[in-house]
Amino acid sequence: MNMFIEQLLNGVAVGAIYALITLGLALVYGVLRILHVAHAAIYTAGAYVGLFVYRATGSIPLATLAAMAVCGVLGILIERAVYSPLLKYPPYVPLISSIAMFLGFQELFRLLAGPYIIAFNARLPLSDAFIGHVRISAPILIIYVTSTLVLIALWLLLYRTEIGLAIRATSQDRAIASTMGMDARSLISLTFFIGSAVAAIAGILVGMHYNQVYPTMGTVPAYKSLALIVVGGLGSLPGAVFASLLLGVLETLLIGYANVPLPRDSLAFIAMIAVLLWRPQGLFGRKGGR
Amino acid sequence: MNYLVTVAIFIGIQAIAANGLNVIVGYAGQISLGHAAFFGIGAYASALLTTKAGMTFWQALPFVLLITGSIGLLLGMPSLRLREDFLAVTTIGINFIVESIFQYIPFFGGALGISNIPSIRLFGTRLRGWPFLGVVAFFLLLSLLANRKFTKSCAGLACFAIREEETAAASMGVSPVRFKLLAFVIGTAMAGIAGALYAHTMRFIAATDFGFPHSVNFMSMVVLGGIGTLWGPTLGAIILGLLPEIFRPLIQYRMLINALILLLMIRFQPGGILGGSSVLARLFRRRPSHG
Amino acid sequence: MDEIILEVRAVCMQFGGLHAVENVSFVQRRGEILGLIGPNGAGKTTLFNVISGVYRPTSGSVLFKGRDTTGFPPHRMAELGLGRTFQIVRPFPDLTVIENVMVPLHLARYRNILASFTSWNTKTIRSEALRLLEETGIADLAELRAGLLPLGNQRKLELARALALQPALLLLDETFSGLRHEEIDIIANLVRKVREKGISILLIEHNMKVAMGLSDRVVVLDHGRLLAEGDPESVRRNPAVIEAYLGKGSMSYAS
Repeated sequence: MNMFIEQLLNGVAVGAIYALITLGLALVYGVLRILHVAHAAIYTAGAYVGLFVYRATGSIPLATLAAMAVCGVLGILIERAVYSPLLKYPPYVPLISSIAMFLGFQELFRLLAGPYIIAFNARLPLSDAFIGHVRISAPILIIYVTSTLVLIALWLLLYRTEIGLAIRATSQDRAIASTMGMDARSLISLTFFIGSAVAAIAGILVGMHYNQVYPTMGTVPAYKSLALIVVGGLGSLPGAVFASLLLGVLETLLIGYANVPLPRDSLAFIAMIAVLLWRPQGLFGRKGGR
Repeated sequence: MNYLVTVAIFIGIQAIAANGLNVIVGYAGQISLGHAAFFGIGAYASALLTTKAGMTFWQALPFVLLITGSIGLLLGMPSLRLREDFLAVTTIGINFIVESIFQYIPFFGGALGISNIPSIRLFGTRLRGWPFLGVVAFFLLLSLLANRKFTKSCAGLACFAIREEETAAASMGVSPVRFKLLAFVIGTAMAGIAGALYAHTMRFIAATDFGFPHSVNFMSMVVLGGIGTLWGPTLGAIILGLLPEIFRPLIQYRMLINALILLLMIRFQPGGILGGSSVLARLFRRRPSHG
Repeated sequence: MDEIILEVRAVCMQFGGLHAVENVSFVQRRGEILGLIGPNGAGKTTLFNVISGVYRPTSGSVLFKGRDTTGFPPHRMAELGLGRTFQIVRPFPDLTVIENVMVPLHLARYRNILASFTSWNTKTIRSEALRLLEETGIADLAELRAGLLPLGNQRKLELARALALQPALLLLDETFSGLRHEEIDIIANLVRKVREKGISILLIEHNMKVAMGLSDRVVVLDHGRLLAEGDPESVRRNPAVIEAYLGKGSMSYAS
């Protein structure tokens, strides 16, 4: 039983990481209607920046802040230089540009930091925790604490502030931002900054948890998070979080307890296709309309 | 010389698959990022039919077409009802799932793949080098002719209408689902032929030959050359096929250069080399330009 | 021949909790121009989409040419002889004007996969398309890309495309909005000519003067319900209608 609960808690932690990555994607999809594959490159960049700053300073908070800042700016650059000029074209155009950027960034990481796995050995100010007989390891605990804080902060920002309201309104209707007296352009940039900064946190968490950072660490998240925003209902933030947590748990339990003949990473897509057959608009998506 | 022939064979095979993708993306306007899956289905179908069922390449070919086309139909039916962004992600998913089926199910040879695939024989002789290139060129020509015929047929016009404005097309008697499916089946069948040719040149195939990066590659060819144009995908296949040869000294940067070229092209000339308002487009297209 | 071309029976259309159309019934006689009017958000376009098959109604039914066509997809409705235009114009922007009109001219071939492989660019179809363009007054623009046309000509193009289906019933969704006086007169004349050919017309119109001038009879919707029905004169004097419009201050006798 304890084993099962530990697995479950593991699954939730994996899901929480997915949620941090997928939220950025859902935010971007909301305001621009773009499938932002390059988001996973930002996540990888976050892991690298975090790693190098940590090595130089020995401070995890400093490393996290630096990674958030660098990734946030990178996100804005991508939006300004590539996406915004391409919005007038059919959706495959920004999508392909995004995939090209993602592949290009991966190559860049490989050339700059080397093709090998770099260890992310962080001394954490936390030890394993026990709830009854159930042990929660320190890295998992960090994931829990951080992702809960980030999710609460995001929720407060998006649902309790004027700017958050404007961002959510913009994802309903691009024209609304201007009627609210907000500049749509800076709102979009802000959205990219937030999404990218959160992805940087996810990158650092994953790097520390598995103790490795490498150029292609974004490949699986890149496509898995696409499946997740689709399952959640494109652009729906609660949907993205719910789908991520669900997948994290499902993956961990299925691999742990069921003899699944297929690799873990294709489960997301199988789940996605099953959901789409049942609800073509995703779990939290709204029906009808274009 | 031999080496150049091999390069040409690969370019030709990829061009056939890219022409198939062009029917789906260029003519019918449906994003597919899972084309490599169908390329793979063709390759595996032909490899299995020739190694396990003892058929020759030519005997297997009709079955390859049938199998790839039917799987295209089967997977297209639910997918093509989805909105375009959902479709893009679904096709990526199809690619990952098909790849992992090839990799994890023993019937498909598992991680080891399938080896000892027989060469293609014609009139009793094994085709290699130039003669094989001839066969590839024949199928490439066939795919180009098929595409030309398609754009001149009512079905092609129906697909254009769906691509441009689906709701209006439907109000004019064009069933969107039917014609999207038709384009999808034609496109996947072409990928199937290309895959079969690939299996018989390589004589060894494994699941990773048909992963998602290869779908991106096919899409790059179509986009680079000119989406929806007759010659674009072939031109794209030639460019992307020759690049690694030209940049051989820069082999380290090959993927980066590919990504950069694709990014710059789509950022500054989304219609591709032969598409829309590009200079070359006017040379290639005979349609008079209207002021 | 049946006297009634279209019958809408107790149609309801809900989106989530929103009742866009509530229990609306009316009939249209063959050869009639029926106006469908009402303030913004009255549910006119929703009703159009129900009739033309874009939406399946939540309840109620649609009878076209005496046949229950509820829930038929749009392309089936087109095959059965229903042509329509769109409130927000939907040309095929990258096709030329004449190609736009050739799309519906191949209607019969789309039903059969084999027939759909015949060539679309034939002399007969081209001259037929040209004839339709002449009829709608845009023949000189035949070789232009449709996306480049100004709104007035795009509306004429939509009319030409709908006519190419040789419809029994034509649905016109605010075909006159955004147009100048002269253009309105030209298209109004076109619509009258179409009716003379025996084609029934159901039109949504915001411009009351145009709607009342063209229609034989008018159906008024308000908040998704049927408010009034009758000849233009009696509807114009109907107190409920006057209140619905004046209450919202949007009665546009002008323009």
